[in-house]
Amino acid sequence: MRPPADDALDHALMAAVGKHDGGAFARLVERHYGWALGFTDRMLGTRPEAEDLVQTAFLRVWQGAARWEPKAKFSTWLYRVLHNLCMDQFRARAAAASEPLDDALAERLADETPGSEERVSGQQRAAQVRAALAGLPVRQRAALVLCYYEELSQAEAAALLGVSEGALESLLSRGRATLRKWLRDDLQ
Amino acid sequence: MDLTRFKECSAAFGAERRRWPRQERPLYDRFAGTLEGAAILADAERTDHFLDARESATPDPGRAHDVAALAKPAWRRFSKPAAALAASAVLGFAVGFAQAHGAADTDSGVAARLLLGPQSLQEIGL
Repeated sequence: MRPPADDALDHALMAAVGKHDGGAFARLVERHYGWALGFTDRMLGTRPEAEDLVQTAFLRVWQGAARWEPKAKFSTWLYRVLHNLCMDQFRARAAAASEPLDDALAERLADETPGSEERVSGQQRAAQVRAALAGLPVRQRAALVLCYYEELSQAEAAALLGVSEGALESLLSRGRATLRKWLRDDLQ
Repeated sequence: MDLTRFKECSAAFGAERRRWPRQERPLYDRFAGTLEGAAILADAERTDHFLDARESATPDPGRAHDVAALAKPAWRRFSKPAAALAASAVLGFAVGFAQAHGAADTDSGVAARLLLGPQSLQEIGL
């Protein structure tokens, strides 16, 4: 799901939200909740965490709307808020577990990889992709989610991640190379 | 050299032309139809298909409604449950009070008076 078009409407809604218009806020949530949840879910890999994080992000929208200036698209700004919250979440996770990410991924994939005779159903494959994405280094995962799933332009994704477009390409290549390797191993 | 760059782009952006940076699309057009280019894209396409299997989260309307309700002041968010709780407490007290006095006072109007207040419907002109 992509952010809806009509930036002018978002700017008008944000101006109203800045004046504590609850109806405008509800409209803004209605327009942006779906894609925000999709993005966050792909980043974090767990639905409940994603829902909590999206709620926190919208709370920040409500609290910060009066100070918001329409320099960029509302969706770009919300992407940044969500991305920063995801990074905070990853740091919290890393602090809670000393387990290296790649080992964690290998275990998860082993758990979710069906036996050779077993037919890989769509749901199983989806679970594998979820686990594979969740196991990628955070910046590679963010680059893939932003460029592949969210279909942001290279310039937008690079600006969001705070890297050059060349560095973004490198993150994408490494992320996809890791997925390709796992995929080959799975097929063999 | 160009084929090397074509390979780099397919490794980063996948097999679909629309995902490639605009400035690299002429390169895509040049090699996609060649034997070597097609093989490179087919490899990238496997990763694309793998990524495509990841389902998109379907939003829960109830949860979205809760988020939209963040804008309401706390007293409004909790006013309905609080009013219901208060009404239940008053009703419970009235019923309990009426039952406790039921044996001594057979006047069933006690409960009605407790529920309606000190005045009857006739007294308030209804």
